[in-house]
Amino acid sequence: MSRSALLLAFSAGAVVLGTLALESSSRVQAQASPLLASRPDRRPARPWKNESWLNADKPLTLEGLEGKVVLLNFWVFTCYNCTNTVPSLVDFDRKYRDKGLTLIGIHTPEFPPYAGEHDKGNVAQKLKQYHIEYPNAQDNDSKTWKLYGIRFWPSFVLIDKKGVIRYEGVGEFHLNDRNYKLWDGRIKELLAE
Amino acid sequence: MSRIGVTAWVAATVVFAGSCATPPKPAGVLRLQTTLVGPNTRLTLLAAAGVKVNARLKPALELSDGRVLRFDSPRLTPDSAYFAESPSALAPGRHTQVHGTLRASVCDEGAAVCRTVVLGL
Repeated sequence: MSRSALLLAFSAGAVVLGTLALESSSRVQAQASPLLASRPDRRPARPWKNESWLNADKPLTLEGLEGKVVLLNFWVFTCYNCTNTVPSLVDFDRKYRDKGLTLIGIHTPEFPPYAGEHDKGNVAQKLKQYHIEYPNAQDNDSKTWKLYGIRFWPSFVLIDKKGVIRYEGVGEFHLNDRNYKLWDGRIKELLAE
Repeated sequence: MSRIGVTAWVAATVVFAGSCATPPKPAGVLRLQTTLVGPNTRLTLLAAAGVKVNARLKPALELSDGRVLRFDSPRLTPDSAYFAESPSALAPGRHTQVHGTLRASVCDEGAAVCRTVVLGL
């Protein structure tokens, strides 16, 4: 068998195996170690239009945040990986808010309303419990989730001062661990521009 | 009828095995086991090896008649984040087949992200 034929056969096999591994999930497929994912191609962030906000006097808009570095955190309070990451995000907010970082939680429920994730009071209680002072948008219709093509809880999108997406990634991290330092470095890099 | 165990492997679309003798289909992330208990049916959600079921968001079976059954178990992991024992739900009536939508939030061992599995039964 020629080399190209072997390559073709291997590729076809990989596709079949990959297909078998897929689940009938409406939302996500977890991949191992996607923490470091980032897109080399820069693209403009898309304006979100969430109307229900917590920790904000009025809805925050992408346009209104021009000149700020923005870190979007897609999360939901029922996600253990998400809440485990909150201390790091609270730390980023405290360290960098005055230096030009706007951290925004995009609270996107996993289940239908019967699970309680859509309830603003429940979200408010969790913000208090986890000492979250940065703005949070309720994304109960998942529109912002879909707008950004998010597939995992938790996910992160880091936007520069010009409104361009510079880094994306997913996954839990903890204060001062490797991935905390990675995101910390990314934030500092964009703040310095 | 005494207790009858029926195992259904949940894969891409469904679903239900007729008897214990039916060889399991290639493992999906979850499988649903039904056991007739008196006038009711116990539904037990079994996760594949290496998969944890989120206990903070109890799995749900949305029945075709609009009712929602939530799966639960008193045994959780020490951090209370995941089920340490397969969660179950009691469905009224005796069923050998269930119809509806099963939702579960699952995490892979060691993975730093979770995902939602939604299956039509």
